[in-house]
Amino acid sequence: MTEKTTLEVIAPTVEEAIAKGVEQLGVSREMVEVEVLDSGAAGFLGIGSRQARVRLMLNLVSYDQPLAPTPSANGALGDMSVSPAAQPEKVSAVAQPEKGESVLEVAQTVVRELLDKMGVKATVTTHLEKSLAPGEQDLILVEIQGNDLSILIGRRSETLNALQYISSLIVTKQVGHWVNLMIDVQGYRSRRERQLRRLAVKLAEQAISTGRRQVLEPMPANERRIIHLELSNHPQVTTESIGEEPNRKITIFVKK
Amino acid sequence: MKALVEYIASSLVDDPSQVVVKQERSGSKVVLQLRVAKADMGRIIGKNGKVANSIRILLRVAAAREGKQVSLDVIEPK
Repeated sequence: MTEKTTLEVIAPTVEEAIAKGVEQLGVSREMVEVEVLDSGAAGFLGIGSRQARVRLMLNLVSYDQPLAPTPSANGALGDMSVSPAAQPEKVSAVAQPEKGESVLEVAQTVVRELLDKMGVKATVTTHLEKSLAPGEQDLILVEIQGNDLSILIGRRSETLNALQYISSLIVTKQVGHWVNLMIDVQGYRSRRERQLRRLAVKLAEQAISTGRRQVLEPMPANERRIIHLELSNHPQVTTESIGEEPNRKITIFVKK
Repeated sequence: MKALVEYIASSLVDDPSQVVVKQERSGSKVVLQLRVAKADMGRIIGKNGKVANSIRILLRVAAAREGKQVSLDVIEPK
């Protein structure tokens, strides 16, 4: 365990990103070194705004303590939902950052190859986002940057989802275990997620004020998930998906 | 376009040596025929054709770059 654990975090501001990262690592602020990769930009009316990106490096001195969670430590956190099968995998994933690094390299190579053969010129960067929920796989985030990449998103993000699906199949095959991989183009997914959350809240209010069921546009599964999650703890409304793929859509209605 | 299908197919199958892609063109239309080992057919087609359809979507981008139209057939081995 000679390698440093690094974590890249994206949040609206630098301070929030640091706080989020420290929380994800489960350490105190003093135990990490912070490198600001992108301080973000406020933009105007949400146009041109960028999220802040920071990289956190865990100081080696305190390396062992937070990174080797014992079963009892997990128990102390009151987390009884961890399945026994998932637990060892999580521990090994945390204890071997170099393993995660090679998955990142594989992911980067695969996406680069695909783009190259599709005739798309773009830069590809990857980073690992540690999973917050124990027993859940870390997320491999692949970011594609370049000019005029709307062709990579497609209608209802169809192309982006196809690229993500094929990439994750190839990466999974090459590393020999399932990987949780997400591809984003020019921050499209994070922008879209904020948009969908706002839409969800707005339509929930409309459902309450009119008493009528609100039906949304058809959306791919990952986008429906964002809305379901956003409203899952809403006290007054329930969400439900209706119809068949690819025209499945969300409806929001007042709880009885 | 051919290289894209070859890359994806060889990366997904257990037996890459049996991946064969043939390309036929008439004007701006290109037809690609993909053959893989029988045991690998499932990996290439996927549940409800999800893998094959995703390959077609990516092919469309490659074809658009060259100003062409493309279709992909996965040929069942005899």
